[in-house]
Amino acid sequence: MSITGEILANAIPGSIALVFPALGELVSERAGVINLGTEGAMLAGALGGIATAVGTGNVWLGVVVSVLCGAAGGAVHATAVVLRGANQLASGLVVWFLALGITSVLGASYNGQVVPLLAAVAVPGLSSLPVIGPVVFDQNPLVYLGYVLVPAIWWFIHYTRTGLVLRASGERPAVVFAGGHRPLRVRFVAVCAGSAIAGLGGAQLALGVVGNWSNGMTNGYGFVAVAVVIFARWNPFGVLLGSYLFGVALAVSSVVQAHGIASNQYLLDALPYCVTVLVLVAVSTVGRNSAPESQRDALSETS
Amino acid sequence: MTSERLVLTRSRAWDVARAARRAIPWTRVGIVAGAYLLCVVAFAAFAAWRGANPVTLLPTMLQSSLLQPSALAQTLLRAVPIGFAALAVAVPARAGLVNVGGEGQLIIGAVAATGAGLLVGSHVPGVLGVLLTVAAGALAGGLWAAIGGVLKVAFGAAESVTTLLMNFIANDLMLFLIYQPWKDPNGSGQPQSRPLAGSIRLQPLLGTGVTLAVVLLVAVAIGLWFVIRRTGWGFALRVVGGNPVAAMRNGLPTRRLAISAMGVGGALAGLGGALNLIGVEGQLRPDLTATFGYVGFLACFLGRNDPVRVTLAAILFSAIALSGNGLQISEGLDGSVVNVLLGAIVLTMLSVGRKTAEALT
Repeated sequence: MSITGEILANAIPGSIALVFPALGELVSERAGVINLGTEGAMLAGALGGIATAVGTGNVWLGVVVSVLCGAAGGAVHATAVVLRGANQLASGLVVWFLALGITSVLGASYNGQVVPLLAAVAVPGLSSLPVIGPVVFDQNPLVYLGYVLVPAIWWFIHYTRTGLVLRASGERPAVVFAGGHRPLRVRFVAVCAGSAIAGLGGAQLALGVVGNWSNGMTNGYGFVAVAVVIFARWNPFGVLLGSYLFGVALAVSSVVQAHGIASNQYLLDALPYCVTVLVLVAVSTVGRNSAPESQRDALSETS
Repeated sequence: MTSERLVLTRSRAWDVARAARRAIPWTRVGIVAGAYLLCVVAFAAFAAWRGANPVTLLPTMLQSSLLQPSALAQTLLRAVPIGFAALAVAVPARAGLVNVGGEGQLIIGAVAATGAGLLVGSHVPGVLGVLLTVAAGALAGGLWAAIGGVLKVAFGAAESVTTLLMNFIANDLMLFLIYQPWKDPNGSGQPQSRPLAGSIRLQPLLGTGVTLAVVLLVAVAIGLWFVIRRTGWGFALRVVGGNPVAAMRNGLPTRRLAISAMGVGGALAGLGGALNLIGVEGQLRPDLTATFGYVGFLACFLGRNDPVRVTLAAILFSAIALSGNGLQISEGLDGSVVNVLLGAIVLTMLSVGRKTAEALT
């Protein structure tokens, strides 16, 4: 396989680890709450998954705990922002800080412990497709969950009544309230659910890609997710594309090194973030009309 | 305050309501005090669960951050990067911009200071060397942050997201320099840059253990307070932040103001990074900033964008961050456990503080 092909193939597990937090962020933002705590939810999910997998030997139980840990992080953010009117950006960073502190204390004993990665399962039939088959359809089950979650969430927010209420809560909460729903409750649940999905991203990173715990291992994925959602113009399919782009930039570093091409690892490590900023700039030029109405200026709230 | 009223005309009803609220609502004060107390109790419970002694916990933290003279000096020294990073948030905030890039701007400041310091070595007199490194740090931090401002005004890219992402780029840039061009051959395998010449390092003042950097932080904080309240630039910033449309209609150069606000903020953080480097560190190393930039962001919220209060908040957070060392040594906890206390305090402030603080002022 050529180097390009290898990069494109290796990008998939990493980009799915970003698809989850980005989808979670999307659900939360569609309901009208920006959640920088996604980073914290992911971190909590990663440690929860590793700790459970080590403790019980059951990796799938680890995935379930990841979801719960993520949701817990979301509950903190939702309580502060939705119920108490706290600044979204600051509250999100606080959730990340809390997660950073708690996980570094609780995770100290898991440092360096290797967990068996989730086993890849080839999809019968599809995995024998030429070229893309072995790459796309011979992955761990969480990756397939990521594939399914994208259209599922797209369908949910656009074609169900609950999804309509969710979107309306992000656009005009007053109208939702007049319509007999409770926009704040919708937002609260959406933030928790979004963070739970972000927790899945932590599980994919810890149990599907890396296989061990290290402090602050999410490395800004949760923050990149916020940028990916803007790039995606709040559309789940765009999230898939944006995450894959980031995953490709991420894979460049490891593939180039595996081939022994002389280069500096740290400059390559910066590549995904550079790509994200550039893409964000390119998309912002076109306009931000697809942002949910109630939070169009939320990324510039200073108090 | 008076000049602000001239532009942002407030209704009479607002003034009346404000006067009515001047009476101190003791119930709310009690609730808020209780909430902060709960933070400390929750933190102590968490630490105790992880094996710390809840009785000696707080004394240990106070000893290792405030009570011993040497610890107090360390707290003040560490308040320099945190405080400057916090001021770097406060200035753009006045213009309605969110700078989450303090961490990266601290790093870039330290990187530029190292570059300048390594370049001049001990060829120039110490004072000139210090001035050069500090100026390089401030300039680099300012340019780095101004990128976020330019992307905002030219392309409409959310500055909070771009500055946040640029933190990771800055960190990778520093790691690249540490591991390759500036690698210390005498580092015995430790990844670090070559150390700066001794003449460029800041010396403690009169045996206090505190360097000039701390004095500078306080001076800059007071100076900024003055600049924001009493100069045309500061006034223009507040108008842009308060009502961008009104600012534009009145012919204020809103775009240039936005970029300059980000630039000045970044220059402050860059200055902090440079001062931390020549005052404390002496050379670049991974984890040089150790989330000081983010702690500064939170300190800015605790100080509600007022330069003097923001600096006080930074000193408080510096003490909390430093008390982690004491816990690590005597209680065997991971030092970052104090992030829990820090997060809890800001969360409390964000959740309950807002209304009361308005009522009290």
